[in-house]
Amino acid sequence: MSQISNNLFKKEQSLAYKMLIPTILILVIIAIYPLGQVVYTSFTNRVFAGVEETEFVGLDNYTSLFSLTIKELPKDKYAFEVLPREPKRYKELTTFSIFNKQYIIGSVHPNFIEAIINTIIFTFFAVFLETLFGFIIALVVNSKFIGRGVMRAIMLLPWAVITVVSARIWEWILFPSRIGFLNMFLSKLGIGNGQISFLTDSGLQLPSLIMVDVWKTTPFMALLILAGLQLVPNELYEAARVDGAGRVKQFFSITLPLLKPSLAVALIFRTLASLRVFGLFQVLVGQQRYSMSSYNYYQLIGNRAMGLASAISVVIFIIIFIFAVMYMKTLGVEDE
Amino acid sequence: MIKNLNKIIQNTLFIVVLLTIVVYLVFPFYWAVNSSFKTEAQLQMSPTTIVPRNIESNSFDLTFKNYINIFKNDQFVRGMLNSTIVSISTTILSLLSGSFAAFALGKLRFKGKKITLYTILAMTMFPQITVLSGLYAVINTLNIDAIPSMILSYMIFTLPFTTWVMTSFFRELPKELMQSAQVDGATPFQTFYMILLPLTAPALVTTGLLAFIQAWNEYLFALTFTSIDPAARTIPVAIALFSGEVTRQIPYGEIMAAAVVVTIPIVLLVFIFQKKIVAGLTAGAVKG
Repeated sequence: MSQISNNLFKKEQSLAYKMLIPTILILVIIAIYPLGQVVYTSFTNRVFAGVEETEFVGLDNYTSLFSLTIKELPKDKYAFEVLPREPKRYKELTTFSIFNKQYIIGSVHPNFIEAIINTIIFTFFAVFLETLFGFIIALVVNSKFIGRGVMRAIMLLPWAVITVVSARIWEWILFPSRIGFLNMFLSKLGIGNGQISFLTDSGLQLPSLIMVDVWKTTPFMALLILAGLQLVPNELYEAARVDGAGRVKQFFSITLPLLKPSLAVALIFRTLASLRVFGLFQVLVGQQRYSMSSYNYYQLIGNRAMGLASAISVVIFIIIFIFAVMYMKTLGVEDE
Repeated sequence: MIKNLNKIIQNTLFIVVLLTIVVYLVFPFYWAVNSSFKTEAQLQMSPTTIVPRNIESNSFDLTFKNYINIFKNDQFVRGMLNSTIVSISTTILSLLSGSFAAFALGKLRFKGKKITLYTILAMTMFPQITVLSGLYAVINTLNIDAIPSMILSYMIFTLPFTTWVMTSFFRELPKELMQSAQVDGATPFQTFYMILLPLTAPALVTTGLLAFIQAWNEYLFALTFTSIDPAARTIPVAIALFSGEVTRQIPYGEIMAAAVVVTIPIVLLVFIFQKKIVAGLTAGAVKG
């Protein structure tokens, strides 16, 4: 008997491996091998689509990405006079002052450090607001009312718009004069002079990008939360009502705890997607302000610094991998 | 009496919240529709108008010129065609390869299953930018054109996704189906394509639709791989790089018309398959 079942298992196993071949082969060609190539290139000074000789430079790309220096900045001197120029030229990242003394932080690639900071700020606020609005929308749609079906369909509209297309629609809404909707609207409310440059004013760029992303992805969040809400059995609410618990109490003692697993999954899922943001930054703020991905793209295609770009890729990969592991731990994988 | 008043206040509040949400979700798209029906001169009106209005008489006045122009625009028409070819091909290839793998992962016993599942799941979150230069080299080595390059490279996100979602669908099919087929003398592979695959047809539609939308949306690979071959540009690239042929100003009227035209098919698909899409999305992200 065990001989037969063992045989059956062997047959099943060999079939399974055969059926996995196409998928594994494709993924090796388009993901695993290229990734290995990128890791290797990150230790060289290779030039993208160039004929120059490639040299092995060790950790040079990585050290230059993360090189930071702090120098005192006397009042009568310019930044470039204070910052080191050898072996690599440092550029100003930011200045600050303590005890009446001015200091300057220099970096070889200040745009990279800024790109990381931009991406983190973008991700934090976008995910926070999406969750908040997603929650509100999901709670509203989950209650019974006429036209609920239509409402659900409407929820999917922003999600169905191509990201780049939504970027261009918003670019037009945010136009820096009163021929743009938002400037017209705000100036009617008495806010601003009708000339607000949402996409070129450095203080408004990130809030504008966050606003666009929130519009586009809130529906997705709302859908995931809604799916979680519908898993909460109605009997629980009835029991709570019998016990005299109010709506607010019900929300905090029943809905929220039971929603935790779906919420955690949705949160990490969105965080991962936001950390990879490319199109929105590339289309709306181009080379004025970078996300990690758009900076990587700029260094690779615009600057053709393939070695450096590969090092940036590896850094991004590691950051995202950490979040992906968190995601998978929350989700869990069943193998039976 | 007070109870009634409370109810009225609650209902009014609910309707206000509901309307706010609807306006918030719909308005940006409405703005694209509104702008797409304006002439260049109407677009330059300051302050801008909520509906297309005649510059002099201020009465309702719309134009279809932008729509006519974009359908005369070679970049746009080609973009639609390229996007359709690339998205459909990627979807079919992913479904084919993915459902094979999903059957193995969902219904067969073999060593190394857990690690394979983890790898597939991890790959659904793969940051595309990190393999861009390596992938470019692979495509150069294979020496293939821009369109097949996109079809192949898009599988980096559609294939893990279809495999993952299909696995959860296969897993839900009752074990007895396989066992009874085996008793009848069917091999596991016969069981797969004669019994289980037809049963997952609805799941294939859902998964395929979601994969199609992801491919339709893709921008980074398309931008890179079509940089030396503008004729192969897909819709997102064409719209991102859309510039007027005559005027030096950005032709927002035409861009908005293009935005409306490319969004409508997807919106229709989404509305028709609404319930399935929600099920597929939650299967991909929530179910294990």
